[in-house]
Amino acid sequence: MKDGFRQSMAWLHTWLGLTFGWLLFAIFLTGTLAYFKDETSHWMQPEMSVRPLDPQASVTGAQAYLQKNAADASRWFISLPDAREPALSVMWQAAAKPGERGKFVEKLLDPQTGEEVQTRASSGGEFFYRFHFQLQMPHPWGRILATLAALVMFIGLITGIITHKKIFKDFFTFRPRKGQRSWLDGHNAVGVLVLPFHLMITYSSLIIFMSLVMPASIIASYGKDTQTFFKEVFPASDTATPTGQPGHLLPLAPFLEQARQHWTDGRVGRLTVNNPADVNSSINVFRDGADKIAHDFGSAVSFNGTTGQLLGVTPEQPLPMAIGGSFYGLHMGHFAGPMWRWVYFIFGLASTALIGTGLVIWLGKRALKHVNGVLPFELRLVQVLNIASMSGLVVAVAVFFWANRLLPLGLAERADWEVKSFFIAWGLGLLHAVLRPGRKAWVEQLGLAALLFAAVPLLNALTTPYHLANSLAQGDWVMAGFDLTCLGSGLFLAWAAWKMQRSGHAVASTQKQRAAPISLKQELN
Amino acid sequence: MLLPLLLCYGGFAALYLSMDRHHRDLLGSTPSARRRQGLKVGGWLLQVLALGAAVALKGWAMGLVLWSAVLMFSGLFMVLLLPYRPRLVLALAGVSVLLSPIAAFTQL
Repeated sequence: MKDGFRQSMAWLHTWLGLTFGWLLFAIFLTGTLAYFKDETSHWMQPEMSVRPLDPQASVTGAQAYLQKNAADASRWFISLPDAREPALSVMWQAAAKPGERGKFVEKLLDPQTGEEVQTRASSGGEFFYRFHFQLQMPHPWGRILATLAALVMFIGLITGIITHKKIFKDFFTFRPRKGQRSWLDGHNAVGVLVLPFHLMITYSSLIIFMSLVMPASIIASYGKDTQTFFKEVFPASDTATPTGQPGHLLPLAPFLEQARQHWTDGRVGRLTVNNPADVNSSINVFRDGADKIAHDFGSAVSFNGTTGQLLGVTPEQPLPMAIGGSFYGLHMGHFAGPMWRWVYFIFGLASTALIGTGLVIWLGKRALKHVNGVLPFELRLVQVLNIASMSGLVVAVAVFFWANRLLPLGLAERADWEVKSFFIAWGLGLLHAVLRPGRKAWVEQLGLAALLFAAVPLLNALTTPYHLANSLAQGDWVMAGFDLTCLGSGLFLAWAAWKMQRSGHAVASTQKQRAAPISLKQELN
Repeated sequence: MLLPLLLCYGGFAALYLSMDRHHRDLLGSTPSARRRQGLKVGGWLLQVLALGAAVALKGWAMGLVLWSAVLMFSGLFMVLLLPYRPRLVLALAGVSVLLSPIAAFTQL
């Protein structure tokens, strides 16, 4: 090593941070938004009204619907509504010839009546959740790239700690309004103070994709037959083989109570029914894991569907799995109630800010040498990518919400068009950043994002009957909270745009002051 | 939730004042060695108490999560508020230390 250890680590931190920063910013921002996945979906499909929870009635309704519409399916899946997700979702897999996979169909039902609900087609919060780790790429490339990014983030955090010399001395230091100094202070303060969260979220993401990151231990024990590994670690609820004789399925509702007797606490999250029309049918009742931190990889109670006989209960998780499950659960935050969800959201934004400030610092440090404001090609490239990946992405998120309200309800492939508008907006953001000078592009994009976000409540009021006054009066806090959060984000972005414009003036005036004496000197000469 | 937050915040404020530079910034004088030591020990003690309170309130699994969240939140809040309203940071620290016994009585 030619330089010192710390210099080498600083080099690694700088260059890994730059090359993966843009991608990481998008992963962290969409991941943060995904903490409000169900809430976003509720806002994007407002036709689904919130009903008091009654699991027995929901299951009975779902069974009646499925028996009418999917009696010959090979499997039924029933997801019960909960405090966050008002819809009763039923899905079935059509019976298929051996060796083929039957097609899946999903419908949303009213949990009280069991009638199908006509909602606008939308991917809702699911889009951010999926993009967060699949990056809209074909399987498995998105996951591999996201996992690689997580690995880089982990290295970035560790090299960052090493690079940051006075980690304890500067613990409480943040000096605003000092240009480059403030960005560095902010980067350090957010990095150090929220370090437990950064480490937890990054390390747990590596655990979630453990089999992608470190397949060696699995391959060593199982060879090429990795399917066996997954079967042994995550035993699928037993899929009974159909006998071909028609059978009569018992009412499902009483099994909820029977299953609950096998658990010390908790509620039923979902049910699956195998071969519902066959004599050899089976019912699996799954526990909802939202009351524990450790993620539950499906603890289920199984019954025979025609006789009601108990078939089996999933045993307690072994310790290594419970530890793995804890990281999984901590990452996902399924256990989080409304308040904890906000805590996750805030820390998620802090992680996003850590990456964003890092990118700004990289460029700011190098741009200082070019006082006249004309950047060489490579710095201009970084600047354009910074603008497009940060403010451009924020604009795209707002456009995604706008598309949900403005696209005609009858449009074919409507949900796809929402996603397309997101990417079109992002692409236009890139184009705009190329065409406009750096600071102007920042101000204009942040300003546009501010306008779009702040106007979301207004847009909602003009296009749907679920506006703020209505949702507040009905106590629909998810709907009202979404509107208000958008308004708040709009105000914050407006502040950011204003800040950016003002600092531009400050720079320009100091440049003029600096330029003036030089020209005087030249005149004297 | 409230008790660990109050203790954590008070602890951070004490640790902040235990550093010469910050003590000078906020109170205009360098602390005596005894005072510095007292603030340091008190600050750490409050953090440990916050952990104890979180675990007592929520059990180990949720308590540890709660404590980390409160630690990060109060630290971030204080550091972002300090450059703008340093006096308010100090006043809030005083209030939180005074309120914590009351919170302890009602919550534990």
